[in-house]
Amino acid sequence: MNELIHVENVTFQYPGAEHPVLNKMNLSVKKGEFLAVIGSNGSGKSTLCKLFNGLIPHFYTGDFEGSVTVSGLNIVENSVADLSCHVGYVFQDFENQLVQARVLEDVSFAPLNFGMEDYLQRGRRALELVGLAHLADEFVWQLSGGQKHLLALAGGLAMNPDIIVIDEPTAQLDPYHAKEIYEVLKKLNEQYGKTIISIEHHTEFIAEYCRTVLLLNKGSVLWKRSTREALSEVELLTELAIYPPQAAQAASRLGADNVPITLNEAIAFFKEKVPCGMPSVPRQKPDRSQEETVIRFDQVGFSYKSMNKKRAQVLKNINLSLNKGEQVAIVGNNGAGKSTLLRLITGVKKPESGSITVRSQSVASCAPEKMADHVAYIYQNPEQMFIDDSVKKDVAFFPRARKIKGYEAKIDEILKQFDLVDLQDKDSRLMSGGQQRRASLAIGAAMNPSVILLDEPTASLDMATRKHLTQFILKLKEQIDLVMIATHDMQLVSEWATRVIVLHHGQIIFDGNKEELFSNPALMDKAGLVPPQIVTLSLALNVEPIDYSVDSFINRFKEARGEWPLQKASQIN
Amino acid sequence: MAAAKSFADKLSFEQIKIELLNTAYGNDRTLIAKLDPRTLFLWYAFFGIAPWFIHSRFILAGMLLFVIGTTIMTKVSRLIIFILILGLLGESGYLLIASLFFGGNLGIIIPLLVLTMKLSVISLASITAFCSMSPERLGEGLLRIGVPGQVSFSISYGYRMLPTLFEEYNHIFMSYRLRGKSPEKHGLFYFRTVIYFIKLAVKSFYPLLLSMAKRARTTVEALETKGGQYAFRNPAVKKLKLANLRIGKTDYFFLLISVLYLISIFISSHYVSF
Repeated sequence: MNELIHVENVTFQYPGAEHPVLNKMNLSVKKGEFLAVIGSNGSGKSTLCKLFNGLIPHFYTGDFEGSVTVSGLNIVENSVADLSCHVGYVFQDFENQLVQARVLEDVSFAPLNFGMEDYLQRGRRALELVGLAHLADEFVWQLSGGQKHLLALAGGLAMNPDIIVIDEPTAQLDPYHAKEIYEVLKKLNEQYGKTIISIEHHTEFIAEYCRTVLLLNKGSVLWKRSTREALSEVELLTELAIYPPQAAQAASRLGADNVPITLNEAIAFFKEKVPCGMPSVPRQKPDRSQEETVIRFDQVGFSYKSMNKKRAQVLKNINLSLNKGEQVAIVGNNGAGKSTLLRLITGVKKPESGSITVRSQSVASCAPEKMADHVAYIYQNPEQMFIDDSVKKDVAFFPRARKIKGYEAKIDEILKQFDLVDLQDKDSRLMSGGQQRRASLAIGAAMNPSVILLDEPTASLDMATRKHLTQFILKLKEQIDLVMIATHDMQLVSEWATRVIVLHHGQIIFDGNKEELFSNPALMDKAGLVPPQIVTLSLALNVEPIDYSVDSFINRFKEARGEWPLQKASQIN
Repeated sequence: MAAAKSFADKLSFEQIKIELLNTAYGNDRTLIAKLDPRTLFLWYAFFGIAPWFIHSRFILAGMLLFVIGTTIMTKVSRLIIFILILGLLGESGYLLIASLFFGGNLGIIIPLLVLTMKLSVISLASITAFCSMSPERLGEGLLRIGVPGQVSFSISYGYRMLPTLFEEYNHIFMSYRLRGKSPEKHGLFYFRTVIYFIKLAVKSFYPLLLSMAKRARTTVEALETKGGQYAFRNPAVKKLKLANLRIGKTDYFFLLISVLYLISIFISSHYVSF
């Protein structure tokens, strides 16, 4: 038998909870599997994975029934430390699992604690496996987000475990770094025979990397299947708020029963069926000359002093003028300067050179409190915006500080608009990620700004919440002169933006509409951007104009053919 | 005003963070930083305590010169020195004014100088000893002299979290500024503005505590999986951790120089009166 994990009839209930979070669960994982665990929020994904290293039931003492064996060890009889020699765990908030100051110290921390004499070699080897060997002597806080995630993974690898559990890597990382981590996981799985268990919302990654999929619902296993079978269940998955790859969604909605799940399959699948002689709808270029300028950047540069006393240049020679009514997306890799660009507009940071004006008022001579009358900035991490002890108080902070007459009624209206009425007396920090994000947008709306700046509004959200949130963002443009979003989320860009600015090493390398951007693969590649699958697919199929959403993609086929030729659908594979 | 403004600009959160981290980790290449922690503990045990029992101004001055020398050798950040001087001057200045106000005379200056000298020796000795040891070295040293492993872990973990704490605090502080309202008028001597900022600085601590408590949950779980508890009980781990600690020639040399210097000032104090 090469069964590594055996879960039998497990029921677990957190102390004080009304319902068990795991309900008579049964599962078996074989050695060498690359398993994706999916399920909607609260389906018990993280709880299940915390069984494998014994955090449940040892650390979280609730009502535990049933039996779990991991690498032949019963989890009740063995301690978390013993089980952790077999299971490496990367938490969702991985930054908090790095406990030492330097990279090598952190990665060799576990082997040292277990008294292994070769702890440094083990640490070095783990760093090599994830490609961080050159940073061994670096301080943890000097690393980028992607590097920290790799370090957290290396920390788990140092004990040379059979199993690696990784909790939502794509939720916290940009697509470029998420791909990097999946490449490492793939190598560990294929070359080193590690069993990988990944909690994942992003089905395009599942399609590309995972071989089996476990679907959880309300604490029970619905099924465990091969990736192909699993992702073909488009309807069921959509119902559970898990969105299959865009290509699969499109094929399924067109009535195919054997749907493509990866990009290459989709290209082969749709190739022969592309309606030829498509009516090409010319998109009109917005005429910017007559519009009112809201924000102007003039030769702006910004740098900061780093630990080694050198100055790191974040932005250079930024020239921009942003007009009323535009929906501006700022994209680019981590560290390209997106957040800095937004923060400069708020007056929290002053440009080192050049000038920024908002409605012809210079930002440099203005305190952030003054700029706040015009500009609202929504943090990437909503928690950093919560400065009061309930949602309602936080939302009302701005009008209250300004003693705006009759603000209470306005606040009630905003709470309603953002679906926060039932949560208004709760402490914002104790809410779920999606709720926090909504609260942070409500805070922005209550400021009644003419410009709103959103920093990664869809980061670390599951797909369902993300979709929900996009609705709010779409509504914003009705009330606000200018909306700017810094984001990695190319799906959001393609569905929402009217103007895209690409930053690369602190400089603007592209400023135009998304059509031009997406049809320039070299530029996308340089900036580390990955277009949404449907866009790549349209490009590969040479359709004109490019489709930016699944809806427009299938409309093209529906209009051309009326009916989908089902017989061709079965030809793939 | 311009000078104060330029100073305020330099004293950003970012700057303080960098200075603190450099103080903790940046000085590991100096001669003193290479000494064994135990040597520094021993050295500090004398220079940190003895000044209270020495009344000869000559010896105190000699010791002060010596610790000034060692402080220069540690290449400590200027911010730390600045804060130290500010503290010392503030303390003595306040005592001087208070004593003059309550009927003292200028004769108070000499005893005050002696006190300042004692405080200076102790402070500079602390800077020499603790700013040149990285938190890890300090932790190892403490572990070696029998302090429980939890203490040395707490020190190194504390420093690991320091930059995160700073950033988090900065974010929260800015959140207040991005939604709050500063006083319309600065008031006499910027009185209103200063009060506003002090209020924000204090208020920002509450959200910070809550968010840090939340972060700590994952950390505790991670420690459990990394065998943190297990390590504190296992003597083999302690041995591994301390394998690099060795008292070598440099240590003896440093102690010898210190002792010789002390003997020479003690002897010369018999011949010099001042």
